[in-house]
Amino acid sequence: MEKTSKNNPLEGITKEKTQSMVEKTLDLYPEKARKKRAPHMSANDPDDAGCAIRSNRKTVPGVMSARGCAYAGAKGVVWGPIRDMVHVSHGPVGCGYYSWGTRRNLVDGTSGVDVFSAMQFTSDFQERDIVYGGDKKLGVLCREAKELFPLAKGISVLSECPVGLIGDDINAVAKESSKELDIPVIPCNCEGFRGVSQSLGHHISNDTIRDYVIGTREFSEPIGDYDVAIIGDYNIGGDAWASKKVLEEIGLNVKAVWTGDGQIEHIAATHQVKLNLIHCYRSMNYMAKIMEEKYGVPNMEFNFFGPTKIAESLRAIAARFDEKIQQKAEEVIARHNVEMQKVIDEYRPRLEGKRVLIFVGGLRPRHTIGAYEDLGMKVIASGYEFAHTDDYDKTYPEMDKGTLIFDDASEIELEKWVEEFRPDLVASGVKEKYVFQKAGVPFRQMHSWDYSGPYHAYDGFPIFARDMDMAINSPTWKLVKSPF
Amino acid sequence: MSEAAIKKVTETTPEEVARIKEWINSEEYKEKNLAREHLVVNPAHACQPLGAQLVAHGFEGTLPFVHGSQGCASYYRSSLNRHFREPAPAVSDAMTEDGAVFGGQNNLHEGLENALALYKPKMMAVFTSCMPEVIGDDLNAFIQNARNEGIVPADFPIPYANTPSFNGSHVQGYDAMLKSVLECLTAGKKVEGQDNGRLNLIPGFDTCTGNYREYKRMLKAFDVPCTLLADISESFDAPLDGTYHPYPGGTPLAEAAEALNAKATISLQKLATKETVKWLSANTEAPVEVLDMPIGVNNTDALLMKISELFGKAVPAELRAERGRAVDAMTDAHQYMHNKKFALYGDPDWLIGMVSFLLEMGARPYHILCSRVHKKFAKEIQKVLDSSPFGAGCNIWLNKDLWHLRSLVATDPVDALIGNGHGKFITRDMGIPLIRVGYPIMDRVNLHRYPTIGYQGTINLVTWIVNSLLDQVDDTCEDRNFELMR
Amino acid sequence: MAKKLRQLAIYGKGGIGKSTTTQNTVAGLAAMGKKILIIGCDPKADSTRLILHSKAQETVMDKVRELGTVEDLELEDVLREGYAGVRCVESGGPEPGVGCAGRGVITAINFLEEEGAYTPDLDFVFYDVLGDVVCGGFAMPIRENKAQEIYIVVSGEMMAMYAANNICKGIVKYASSGSVRLGGLICNSRNTDKEKELIEALAARLGTQMIHYVPRDNQVQRAELRRMTVIEYSPEHQQAQEYRELARKIDENEMLVVPTPIEIDDLEELLMEFGIIEAEDETIIGKAENA
Repeated sequence: MEKTSKNNPLEGITKEKTQSMVEKTLDLYPEKARKKRAPHMSANDPDDAGCAIRSNRKTVPGVMSARGCAYAGAKGVVWGPIRDMVHVSHGPVGCGYYSWGTRRNLVDGTSGVDVFSAMQFTSDFQERDIVYGGDKKLGVLCREAKELFPLAKGISVLSECPVGLIGDDINAVAKESSKELDIPVIPCNCEGFRGVSQSLGHHISNDTIRDYVIGTREFSEPIGDYDVAIIGDYNIGGDAWASKKVLEEIGLNVKAVWTGDGQIEHIAATHQVKLNLIHCYRSMNYMAKIMEEKYGVPNMEFNFFGPTKIAESLRAIAARFDEKIQQKAEEVIARHNVEMQKVIDEYRPRLEGKRVLIFVGGLRPRHTIGAYEDLGMKVIASGYEFAHTDDYDKTYPEMDKGTLIFDDASEIELEKWVEEFRPDLVASGVKEKYVFQKAGVPFRQMHSWDYSGPYHAYDGFPIFARDMDMAINSPTWKLVKSPF
Repeated sequence: MSEAAIKKVTETTPEEVARIKEWINSEEYKEKNLAREHLVVNPAHACQPLGAQLVAHGFEGTLPFVHGSQGCASYYRSSLNRHFREPAPAVSDAMTEDGAVFGGQNNLHEGLENALALYKPKMMAVFTSCMPEVIGDDLNAFIQNARNEGIVPADFPIPYANTPSFNGSHVQGYDAMLKSVLECLTAGKKVEGQDNGRLNLIPGFDTCTGNYREYKRMLKAFDVPCTLLADISESFDAPLDGTYHPYPGGTPLAEAAEALNAKATISLQKLATKETVKWLSANTEAPVEVLDMPIGVNNTDALLMKISELFGKAVPAELRAERGRAVDAMTDAHQYMHNKKFALYGDPDWLIGMVSFLLEMGARPYHILCSRVHKKFAKEIQKVLDSSPFGAGCNIWLNKDLWHLRSLVATDPVDALIGNGHGKFITRDMGIPLIRVGYPIMDRVNLHRYPTIGYQGTINLVTWIVNSLLDQVDDTCEDRNFELMR
Repeated sequence: MAKKLRQLAIYGKGGIGKSTTTQNTVAGLAAMGKKILIIGCDPKADSTRLILHSKAQETVMDKVRELGTVEDLELEDVLREGYAGVRCVESGGPEPGVGCAGRGVITAINFLEEEGAYTPDLDFVFYDVLGDVVCGGFAMPIRENKAQEIYIVVSGEMMAMYAANNICKGIVKYASSGSVRLGGLICNSRNTDKEKELIEALAARLGTQMIHYVPRDNQVQRAELRRMTVIEYSPEHQQAQEYRELARKIDENEMLVVPTPIEIDDLEELLMEFGIIEAEDETIIGKAENA
């Protein structure tokens, strides 16, 4: 689990070769689109910030992007996982229908009784609602939600495109309903046409938490020195439970998780904790900053993928506390590393030297690199759907010289790079999965953990290792070439 | 002072949870739930563009093109990906806030240019998501302008459909796109006074690739040349051979272009092809017949007899024998389904076929739930129910959702649910089996490869339903009743 | 032989008298024995009251709101017959400031097409469209396979002429992809100076004609008080004759053009020429009266 240098060239990969591949890819485009796409891909130089990738720009029409929208960022990422609220997809039926249960944000509780994340609530707009506006309807449906789901601790109203286009005033309705029903009713103006990707949805949702949630509750027991919150863990396949467990092993109390298996009142009281631990920076850094500025809660990023990064992170986190925690952290690391070494011993021989192309969302294009490296694998291309400059700045040093870094890839770009780079594994989303499997390339969905998980922390790594091994070494791949 | 005003974090007690858990199964709760006017919980329908995209995938070399926000396309694609476990390539012209204000023509033009260059389709099927529908973009004008400006070749086929998500469901989107594709491809192809001897067969919104293969097999047995409109069987059940083909199949465009010259057309979903059938009837003298979806023996008989009548050919021996095998399978299994109650939910045309099949088995389609359908539909379902004593006392629930259904089966129980994967939360709570048929199914593999129509499909349905009920018996019976034979 | 259905859209600045002009013209055509359908495309829903002698008919959108979905709506719920067999439908829509009136127009027209409101016995369909084409929905009536002829109601007032010019810009946009054409300007007189000459000059600049000059006459208001067109209320009155004349001209009109909208400067020049506005004096800009 030693740290590998990023400047030793990988066999067969040079900056020049990668750059020429980039050119070939761009040649596929008509002139105008080529100009737009060119700044979004480049060969990496870990020491040279000059390879700056352009990001967070409008998607080029017609290229087949994998991006979602602001609503997806608000509903699927930030709000949806909060378990004890009714999240209303406000507008036509589709947006809520397609995002129903597909992000795998697991929750504890009884569905339909005290938790609601596995359910789909919508105002199911019809023509009449577009023409006359949906405000009255919204007021009524909040009342209906409160009556039918009395243990819900709040309602979020997540606007879909038409709501913004016809100019409904959901904020006014939410304010009235909140007063009438005596629970928070939180309007989130996250129409899908706003911004360029999911990212704006995260930001809008963070701002909504700032305006309607944070500071509205306090924990019932006095706050302690070791009270922390996890920010940006969505409990996909149980990730947050795994992360929480390790943090508690080193002696910290996780008072709130944002927002995986989240509880709105705990989230509302998070301004009281001593430290905010940020996993997915992209989707939650806004609120972490606000809590720092307004309430003086410090924050730090951490990475719970793979034993190397977990150990580094645990030490860094412990360093923010006293010796007791630091000592416990060392004990926890030592104890788990025995188990982790067994995992590595089992899988590394079969995975050594295997190459990976990653194209995902918020944190994984950089955060999972270490976990792959723990297994002897190399990430040779990495890209984000909706990152910003700061994400790329954090990615360059993690990637080897000459590897490919890219932003908002279109499907044809991915096809071209896979054809040229011939990675042993593509780690991306469901829209890409079957494209590459048809081409005979092993694949793991890295948004949803391909219906597996958790992948976080010490509980997650053995599963991660097993899954990568079975993707690459499944005997079914041997059947692809027909003998006749 | 102000700090004291801040409320403390509260925790829901286990007692409260237990109380509400019981309450949501009560008669009182059902009444409140059914009185719901505006909140929709766990809907049983998707939106129009999904149906439009399904049609697009059913034509040779066709790229689905979403005019609207980028995120919409990602949603339709991933929904199809998850159900079929297959690629679903589609582009969007990624309209954003400026498009909302100035209209989407620039996006559409840039998108058409790029998509044509990158993905080299033979046809692009354009359909709309919410934004252009609300602001009123004129697709016809935009596409005509694209041709005038040389962005796409003058003769490149670009059918287009307005598919507002705030009207109807995926079923109407299917209809709108299919009609548009046919209008586009058949323009100028009509030959007066003669037919080419082919049958146009329109399956409707059907996400079971096995059904399409089954239709083709039956028609082949008849030796009746057939054009499936639209054929998704290859697009969503493509071989894995080491090469990715973005357009692995679909109805050949040249074949579809001859649709108005066919000897006859049969549509197997009345509501999903309303406009298409209307258009076909107005534009061809050949018979355009609408039958019920051929689920069960009677409906399959009707289809085969109709083909026989239209083409003057006897029902082939192969299919006669198959009918006998289906009846045999049903008879062998009848004792397990007789008088059993089922709750079913899904698309209107599918429900009509499924209800008919359950009645044939002596089973009771006890709760029939359909969302987003006009009220006249109740009469059509009632007609099917009235055809059998087993239909007596069965309940039709229109424009209701799966949370309603939960209350219905909690207070007036059934033996099993039949429908898409979303029903699993109900069946888990009620401790009864879910037989997965419909769209989407995201938690089981390969079901879309097995036909549910025709005699073969009927055998499959009997197998799944009965074996699920028997698994249930084995999983839940007391030890002393656990037996080798069932 | 099937009759050729002519579909006309009447546009013009709000308050210019579009609905009154349309209904009187329609009455004129109906009196000639023509079969006509009026589709009001304005949430105010006042496009058919003179034909129906009613306050405001129940609109498509009212009914949709009541029933929940368009699918459950029947044509007979919203189609009314009035004076001389003229059929009337109002699209309807929200109060100002909420919802999306433009979508209401789209919903209503889609509904009418699907339900077969455009029967083969019709000679004319008239769309009476809300003043300014503010969004795509209000351009619905001039899309392909809908109105092919547009008439703009205008007066000698400056803003009415600005609006007419803007509407011409919209027509040019749609004309390039379809067959929509401008049939002419209808001058609904406000008794401004040299009004007839001015509108004729404007029409010439726009490449079209002033199809008729409708003089101002209080008889129109007297008829309106009784919720009637002048043609029905006082068929012998001179004003009724004017509308019949306009109806005849529209029936016989063959001058359908792609208009040539003019630049604002040119329009202002024209207005100066006729003394409607004065030459720009930079020294007075932004100065209050008492400054």
